[in-house]
Amino acid sequence: MAMILNTTTLTNTLILTNSMAGILSFDFVIHAVIAAFLASITCGFIGAYIVARRMVFISGGITHASFGGIGLGYFLGINPILGAAIFSILSAFGIRLVSKQTDIREDSAIGILWSFGMAVGIIFIYLTPGYAPNLMSYLFGSILTVTIADLSMMGILAAITIAVFLFFYRTILFISFDEEYARSHNAPVETFNYLMLTLVALVIVINIRVAGIILVISYLTIPQSTANLFVNDLKKIIFLSVLISFSGSCIGLLISYYWNIPSGATIIFVFVLIFMIARAIAYLRSSKQRNGSIAER
Amino acid sequence: MPELIKLENVTAGYDNGIVLRDVSLTVSNNDFIGVIGPNGGGKTTLIKLVLGLIKPISGTITRFDNQEGNFIGYLPQQSHIDRKFPITVRDIVLSGLMSAGKPLNRYSSKNKTQAFGLLEQMGIPHLANRTAGELSGGQLQRVFICRALISTPKLLILDEPNTFVDNRFEHEMYELLQEFNKRMAILIISHDVGTISYFVKTIACVNTYLHYHPSNIITEEQLAGYNCPLQIITHGDVPHTVLQKHDHGHDSEHNHSHQHPHTHE
Repeated sequence: MAMILNTTTLTNTLILTNSMAGILSFDFVIHAVIAAFLASITCGFIGAYIVARRMVFISGGITHASFGGIGLGYFLGINPILGAAIFSILSAFGIRLVSKQTDIREDSAIGILWSFGMAVGIIFIYLTPGYAPNLMSYLFGSILTVTIADLSMMGILAAITIAVFLFFYRTILFISFDEEYARSHNAPVETFNYLMLTLVALVIVINIRVAGIILVISYLTIPQSTANLFVNDLKKIIFLSVLISFSGSCIGLLISYYWNIPSGATIIFVFVLIFMIARAIAYLRSSKQRNGSIAER
Repeated sequence: MPELIKLENVTAGYDNGIVLRDVSLTVSNNDFIGVIGPNGGGKTTLIKLVLGLIKPISGTITRFDNQEGNFIGYLPQQSHIDRKFPITVRDIVLSGLMSAGKPLNRYSSKNKTQAFGLLEQMGIPHLANRTAGELSGGQLQRVFICRALISTPKLLILDEPNTFVDNRFEHEMYELLQEFNKRMAILIISHDVGTISYFVKTIACVNTYLHYHPSNIITEEQLAGYNCPLQIITHGDVPHTVLQKHDHGHDSEHNHSHQHPHTHE
């Protein structure tokens, strides 16, 4: 890890001596921008679904439970992301099944799996001989070190996500809005719930490389909540949050270069800043409208 | 008259016990049945059985369902809806067309015209692009009626439709229902026995068992034999069918749940 920090510092020093145009001549910067774009697409779509269905807490649980898979990956010497994918899908299904089939309530089930996953991860990493490289990048993300392999995985997932929404947008929308009504029409409610849960789990895991376990939830909630201040239709929330997410990521990346601060945290900071500005604009607009209507009377 | 759905000796319930016992009911074309009974008596369970949301423990349910699309239109209680969900009114109405065989939900311009026509009929075409959260309870109820009607069902089921509705629309709604009744059978659940007994043709009293009254007038003598505890509210301008509250056996005293000076004594 020390080595990574060194190279990051080194590259940051290099960047500081270059102009804007110079920044884009680095391959890793191009990779970071592509990664931000793909993350904005997958998180924009899936995050809008999560926020609309009030699934933010379950998504947090899935994210943290996947740390168990990362630890297992290190221990077995396989790709930690593969381990995380298995853990996140199993925990997502587990939370649903446990809360449906037993008398354990859903939020309690989330709390249990959330901490259990983290614990498993810590134990496996402790048991792995030697030093765990890149561990910090799984916790906090490292958009500057994404590889071509990471990018292609993100690209495939983005394509799948877009395809699912293109073909099934209305089914997803109707089932999410009124599950019981959809059931009364014999719509395949359970199939779609599990399909979407799988997609949620995969999007979380793939984006752990970019934003990290601790920060990935921000990509899934902050741009969507910002978009929801202005638009109120799921389709529009998706488009607007992809846009906010990508521009926020780019601004965050730039700031992190010039000030030499961690990129993941900077991006989240920019997201929240955008949210606060948007909230202020929305508030001013509505109070103006209110005053306007009072004046009319 | 052609039958639409037939329940024969149906017993149903959940993990924690039996809710309905030995229930038989036939719904035919152009029926207008008011389902009344106490809370927890099994009204909603009866609806879930008819909709196919739950399976009976014993007994049979036959649907004479040979039409394309959705055979039943359903207006659920509003309480389980997330009012802040980001969906437009037009999409809510179109969701009435979803079905098992059509996962690729592409709606034709004919469907969209149809949705708009229904909103017009309900007097709310201007709300088509609004979202659920921007509507009042009464407006949302009209939207849900449009959703139930868009598939041109043979049977319309309404679960407590007057809960969130203002008085003016309530009256309008019952008149609309009588109009719809020329084209479809209607099953309506309500607490408000006084009002619905004025509009419905027959009454089903559900309290674990189901007692079917083949008219909309129930006499005290009939009730006495049925053990139907009812909450009665009567309204001044509605012809009075005053029903009495009955306590189950243990108490022979007849309590009038709602005293109405003009109708009693």
